[in-house]
Amino acid sequence: MRLRGHLLLLTFATMLPVVVFACIVGYFLINEQRETFRRGAEDRALAVLTAIDNELSGSISALAALATLPTLDVGDLDGFRVRAQRVLEAQPDWQNVNLALPDGQQVMNLQVPPGMPLPNIGKLDGSFERLRATGKPVVSDLAFGPVLKRSSFAVRIPVVRDGQIRYVLSAGMNPEALRRVIRAQRLPLDWVGVVVDRNGRVVSRTVDPGQTEGQMASQSLRDALARSGSGWFRGSTIEGKPVYTPFRRSESSGWAFAMGIPARVVDEAAWRGGWLLAGGLLAALALAVGLASFWGRRISSPIASLAGAATAIGRGEQVSVPEVGGPEEIRQLSRTVRGAVEALQEVDRQKDEFLAMLSHELRNPLNALSTAAHLLAISDPAGEDAAAARGIIERQTRRMGRLVGDLLDMSRLTMGKLLLQQESFDLAGTLTGIVSTWRASGRLGAHDVRLDVESAPVHADPTRIEQIVDNLVDNAVKFTPAGCGITISLKREAGSAVLRVSDEGIGLSPEECGRVFELFAQGETSARRGGGLGIGLALVRHLVEAHGGSVHASSGGTGKGATFEVRLPLAARKAQ
Amino acid sequence: MIIIAEDEPDQRLALRLALQKEGYPVREAASGAEALSLIAQKAPRALITDIFMPDMDGLELITQVRDEFPDVRIIVVSGGGKRTSGDYFASTRVLGAHATLQKPLDFEQLVTILRSLP
Repeated sequence: MRLRGHLLLLTFATMLPVVVFACIVGYFLINEQRETFRRGAEDRALAVLTAIDNELSGSISALAALATLPTLDVGDLDGFRVRAQRVLEAQPDWQNVNLALPDGQQVMNLQVPPGMPLPNIGKLDGSFERLRATGKPVVSDLAFGPVLKRSSFAVRIPVVRDGQIRYVLSAGMNPEALRRVIRAQRLPLDWVGVVVDRNGRVVSRTVDPGQTEGQMASQSLRDALARSGSGWFRGSTIEGKPVYTPFRRSESSGWAFAMGIPARVVDEAAWRGGWLLAGGLLAALALAVGLASFWGRRISSPIASLAGAATAIGRGEQVSVPEVGGPEEIRQLSRTVRGAVEALQEVDRQKDEFLAMLSHELRNPLNALSTAAHLLAISDPAGEDAAAARGIIERQTRRMGRLVGDLLDMSRLTMGKLLLQQESFDLAGTLTGIVSTWRASGRLGAHDVRLDVESAPVHADPTRIEQIVDNLVDNAVKFTPAGCGITISLKREAGSAVLRVSDEGIGLSPEECGRVFELFAQGETSARRGGGLGIGLALVRHLVEAHGGSVHASSGGTGKGATFEVRLPLAARKAQ
Repeated sequence: MIIIAEDEPDQRLALRLALQKEGYPVREAASGAEALSLIAQKAPRALITDIFMPDMDGLELITQVRDEFPDVRIIVVSGGGKRTSGDYFASTRVLGAHATLQKPLDFEQLVTILRSLP
């Protein structure tokens, strides 16, 4: 998978717990909102019911006042009628007032002229029975009144004399009164408020009262009322609309008030928070993906360009590693890769140059050899020319041998395969020996070589020491014009044998001093003037370091000669 | 007469002796400057020169000899390697070298070239 894909996955992984948490929160939020709504609706139902109870108890109070009239003490029904008529006129919600015996036989009815026969209303509903049983005011169920000839209900109170219920005084109520009370509570228009009597019959309803009042309430409401005095359920209205219904039964009247709240309203209220949460979550996810994608590109594009460059380099193309932006680690990686590639390219360039130089350096002795061979072939073997040719062949063969030997040693040294065969000896003797051999063989040419040595015992490989001196002196001879001086000195300094080869040659620039001991480091100038592979001094450094010593080059500047210094540890006393 | 400009003594010596066997009078120069002064003393028929010498680039020598001694034929002998490969050899021809030979030298070829000189 690509890096950006991984980053996106990482984002999703980070978001996952948030999403899970949000879902849990959402679940509780929705429930909590539904619950809050339910509590609010139940409180409202209670408020309406209380208002209805107040309305009814107002009528009960008015009846109670009427019941205390002395006219009833003596059975003066005509006198009572006059007073009752006045009260009825003062009570806008009353339709009628009647007085009955405890068994329900009416003895006075304001809607029936005196003297006319009156009905027995004791069996219309259970209200007379309840009143007789409790001795307290009751509210009748909705019943079809025999006098008014329509459905209505009444508030009844006992008229007690001498501890006995003498009469039952009833006020016929206008259902419109209840409707007005409910309306005063200002329920939302699409809510249905309904007052239900003990039988489950609709006494008053805010919606479509003409069709529903007097009808049985919806089955779901009746079932709920049968189960408990108050609560909340999901059911449907008489018309069959799905609603949530808070309901409560009045303890005083036995009636219940219920509200039908469209299920949509409740669900919307409950889900509002949920939708907000879901929307916010989606927006956050989208933002996270967007940002991840943006940052992902910032991270992945530099890696991609690095990878592209690396691939191209792998194919052998000459490309430079691009400078990339992005995180610090990637920039660092780019710098590192860049440095490594440049170093590799430099090594590659040096290798090419070295191979070219090697070819050139091998051609020079070969050239001398081939010409000498030709000379030998055409000369008198005993003559001077043949002797000269043999001399040339001998010298040049040795020269090639040294060249090849140096190459081999260098390769062994760089691979760490060179073994030293160390023994203790005096470096001074070795040095003097080498110089006199060189002087005798003419290798020092026309140079003025001065030797200044003191005894310096070392524990080292004599062959390698000879190689070191050989290369240093060869280097000095190579870069010093004929006639100029070369000083070779050997001193003991602070536990080290210090060998210095100073020449009066072409010298070194400060920059060359620093890298003259590196492999193939021969400067442009020196390469042109002296030829050579540029491995001699590198070999010196490696050999000296293998002996635990160090090398150093210094120069007064170009044209002012150079000094090459080798420090080797002096041998311990017992090793001498 | 032929002048050999070559900084390496053995190569110079071998070439001089071999050419002398062929009957050519030969003078040796260990550097470009020395070669120029020898030419100034007596113009040779040919100058056989190396490319890399301590004091003077072979190309400088060719240019100077061509400008100052147009009659001297120049034969370049070089060790090859990066600097003397391709472009460099070609440039010696452009600069006026009569022939360019690579080391190790094919002596018979050199003699053939010398004989063909006017």
